[in-house]
Amino acid sequence: MQENLLETSILSLELLFSFDAELWDIIGVSFRVSMIAISIATLPAILIGFALAMVDFKGRWMVVALFNALMAVPTVVVGLTLYLLLSRSGPFGDLHLLFTQPAMIIGQVALAFPLLVCMSHSAFQSIDKRAWETARTLGANCCYAVITIMKEARFALLASVLAGFGRIISEVGCSMMIGGNIMSYTRNIPTAIALETSKGMFAQGIALGLVLLILALLLNFTLASIRGKGQLV
Amino acid sequence: MGVELRANNLIKRYGARELFNIEELKVQEGDSLHLSGDNGAGKTTLMKILAGLDKPCSGEVAVTPNMKSKWSTRLHPKVVYLHQTPYIFSGTVAANLAYGLKLKGLANKQIKEKVSHALAWARLEELADHSAHSLSGGEKQRLALARAWVLAPGLLFLDEPTANLDQQSVTSVADLIDKMLEGGAAVMVSSHQKNPVTELCYRQLLLSEGQVTEFGHQRKVRHHA
Repeated sequence: MQENLLETSILSLELLFSFDAELWDIIGVSFRVSMIAISIATLPAILIGFALAMVDFKGRWMVVALFNALMAVPTVVVGLTLYLLLSRSGPFGDLHLLFTQPAMIIGQVALAFPLLVCMSHSAFQSIDKRAWETARTLGANCCYAVITIMKEARFALLASVLAGFGRIISEVGCSMMIGGNIMSYTRNIPTAIALETSKGMFAQGIALGLVLLILALLLNFTLASIRGKGQLV
Repeated sequence: MGVELRANNLIKRYGARELFNIEELKVQEGDSLHLSGDNGAGKTTLMKILAGLDKPCSGEVAVTPNMKSKWSTRLHPKVVYLHQTPYIFSGTVAANLAYGLKLKGLANKQIKEKVSHALAWARLEELADHSAHSLSGGEKQRLALARAWVLAPGLLFLDEPTANLDQQSVTSVADLIDKMLEGGAAVMVSSHQKNPVTELCYRQLLLSEGQVTEFGHQRKVRHHA
């Protein structure tokens, strides 16, 4: 078994560093879909997080509680909901989005959005109200004052974006259900790992797992180094 | 033409509690006012309302000449409010000084010149490239004053500017405020205690039991060493 594990690990490294077309195709789909999804979700989610932190309105706590609850919804439930909406008999069936990359993007936006809202809400809550007032009294209009507050909260906001990206690039339930795991089109890293493992083909799974592991390390080292530069002492 | 502020029938309530009800308050060019009152009397709230950062429940604040911008009906570009503990933006001391100037759309060369004047004015030249967060309390207060001064305000609201400062810092801050007054700006200082800054003020206002009363009006002469 140990020999098998060693052999499989070596084979996985060979696949990775020989730039196996199939393997890198899967990695490409994963990054493309998740990058687009996080790009779409980030700005509106951050603005909602800002509004929830800075604007006092009736029922604000309910909206915050709702986003917190949505953050905890399992990915397969999000996948199932979108499947029902996008399937041929569903209300958006005519759009023929099921088992396409746009469907995966929609799913990943839905998964990242509540997380980004909640984390950016916390980030803005940690910023002193004096920052807003100072910006305004020094002549900033509302838009520029928002940008100023975003700059002040940039490390926490970056952390929320990285956490959101980490969540969607590694989720399997939603992508599997609405992407369909179609080779060279909707097969991404997590769905490929699930498929290859079920077939007993561990080499590709380990290689793709390594990619996710390296990505997680890279994201966290990047965040730590940026945070380090921003430290006061 | 200098800035003139008029407040009429200002009422601020928190729930059923009425914080203050001020019939009339007028601040003119060159005025220096000391607003005193106990903790919780509403000094900060009143100054924020006058500066356009807070809304009264009723009443109005009018600043002339009318230069109010499209994006706000309350804020006036010639009126600046400074917090008791000033908020300093992340970045360098020079970047903090340039903040308001960039918003005015000045050219980079002009911004550089004005920032260097402001650094000299507040004696912060050597700290220009330091992180503003690393400054001491007194230096931060001087930076906040310089950040306001560089915008050439007509009216400046200073909320307890000497709170938590040592004697030397209080003197430095008082010197800067004196220079602002010399430049023609009107200044309103809130403080519940007498200190070198309040001694610069020739109008004495007391906010107590929801009313502002003017109880002292010294002659408008300041002595310089």
